[in-house]
Amino acid sequence: MIARGLGAKAGSFVLDDVTFELPDGAWGIVLGPTGSGKTTLLETVAGVRRAIAGCLMLRGQDVTHTPAEARRVGMVYQHSYLFPHLTVDENVRYGAADAGAARAISKRFGADALRDRRVASLSGGERQVVALARALAPRPDILLLDEPFAALDARRRTHIRRELRQLQREQGITVLHVTHDLAEAGTLGDLAMVLERGRLIQVGTPTAIFRHPASGSVAEFLGAENVFSGTIAAPRDAMGGDADVLSFIGEGVALIGVGERGAGPGHAVIRGLDIVLARAHAGPTSARNVLDGVVDEVTADGMLSRVAVRIGQATLVAVVTQSSAHDLALAAGVPVVATIKATAVHLC
Amino acid sequence: MTPRAVHRAATASVIGGAALLFATLVLPVGALVLRGGLDGLRQLGVDRELQQALALTGMAATTATLVTVLLGTPLAYLLARDRIPGGALVSALVDLPLLIPHPVAGIALLLAFGRASPAGAALSRVGMSVVGSPLGIGLAMLFVAAPLYVSAARESIARVDERYEAVARTLGDAPWTAVRRVTLPLASRGLSSAAVVMWARAVSEFGAIVILTYNPKVASVLSYDRFTAYGLDAALPVAAVLVILALVPLLTLRSLRAGAAPVERAP
Repeated sequence: MIARGLGAKAGSFVLDDVTFELPDGAWGIVLGPTGSGKTTLLETVAGVRRAIAGCLMLRGQDVTHTPAEARRVGMVYQHSYLFPHLTVDENVRYGAADAGAARAISKRFGADALRDRRVASLSGGERQVVALARALAPRPDILLLDEPFAALDARRRTHIRRELRQLQREQGITVLHVTHDLAEAGTLGDLAMVLERGRLIQVGTPTAIFRHPASGSVAEFLGAENVFSGTIAAPRDAMGGDADVLSFIGEGVALIGVGERGAGPGHAVIRGLDIVLARAHAGPTSARNVLDGVVDEVTADGMLSRVAVRIGQATLVAVVTQSSAHDLALAAGVPVVATIKATAVHLC
Repeated sequence: MTPRAVHRAATASVIGGAALLFATLVLPVGALVLRGGLDGLRQLGVDRELQQALALTGMAATTATLVTVLLGTPLAYLLARDRIPGGALVSALVDLPLLIPHPVAGIALLLAFGRASPAGAALSRVGMSVVGSPLGIGLAMLFVAAPLYVSAARESIARVDERYEAVARTLGDAPWTAVRRVTLPLASRGLSSAAVVMWARAVSEFGAIVILTYNPKVASVLSYDRFTAYGLDAALPVAAVLVILALVPLLTLRSLRAGAAPVERAP
């Protein structure tokens, strides 16, 4: 799947200049805040929304002006859009040339037990399973998923994801998958792309995007605990020759970090898990950022604790295990030292 | 006044207002049926002119409705999906006949399709005329009632999320096939209701028909004719039978609406 300068309109919203390459048989993840154009992108790839600019190639063929019904693309929306005037079985068989194959897909995803039910009697999760079976029954080359697992309970979500991943590998299906679930993106995605206000602002592996977001807004969307706005200094000013090591000052925090961006306004991004907290200085260290602060608040987050540390005017959020928080007796008002390696401070 | 007393007073005024309106709507019709209903039903078996008028009314209204469903459903679809440039203007023009007094509608039809008009002359050449013929009756019914169908059908189709069609197309349907297999079945209750409303309106039409075609007489013209020629007692049975027969489509409409299932829409 190759998109070059792809553009589309949805009402007053414009998807603009989207360019990416997703190898055949790969699983692509589309990330982005609500209203960024994720569904519009999927609909444009499906052919149900007309491209107004650029070109789209599927399986090596230009399909920019090919009607949806000729693209061999399956699509599952967040809301199942099952046809309510048909039974589950009729929905699954709707686009399938081979009724046997449709039945097999239905069985594989657990929709077969529902085959005689009316759509109105299904739960939200059951509808999504049937919608997935319906999209897969015609054996599409490309599968477009718009948050299809959101309505599933945890156990069924794990099962469906596993089955779908296996089927995708067996049949070499290329998947483009919109999700807000970052864990899902990391688990399934071979390639991830981030949309913002109708433009594609970053493409890379999920790990690379999580570790090195292209902007402060991407970092915030991806759940980075600490995103500071400020000024990035020129490399030579900062470190005297180390090409990608830069200094940053902003929001009352001075940091040494790494990034490919030149001097000027920018952001410093630090994952909470990359911050080491101690009750006192431990002597010389290789870490380039050692910051004195006072604990503002400690909140439990599952097995972990989120510790807000006030450093001057700024607040740094560190994520530590609950046992560490207990051992260090972290509580509001306790002085701490936050240590961060330069490589854990991403400047963008 | 306590909050409970305020609530009681508000409830009483709501119920009282609703009852007043209901009585205003039902009393005249009830009086008509009570005074002329039995006579009308009795005459239905023996009055050949009444039988012919009712048959002509039913046939013309049904034909006008079928033609409108056939031609108006695609128009309603195109308007509902904003597929017509200047759709708002087209919608307003389609609704316009609803605003024209019905005798004026009859005059407009006479101007457009009468013998002196190009369309009327063309119809004459193939042996047809809208003046004094069942064709004129059907045309008058269609002109005044079709906007009701198109307007209701447009709303009904617009309520079906376009993404149902999108999904059908990814499953291999051509655009119009998706409309036929998915959109129209999902809108079918609304379309049926719209057709029933149009049929009922066509059956009751008088003003436009009387300008175009006094004879042969439809039921409404027959009722008027007997009123002017023989007085109220002669007109009552015809009018009462028309009212009783009009209840059939209205009851059908209510049962369709009662059984209507909501269609899933994205928020």
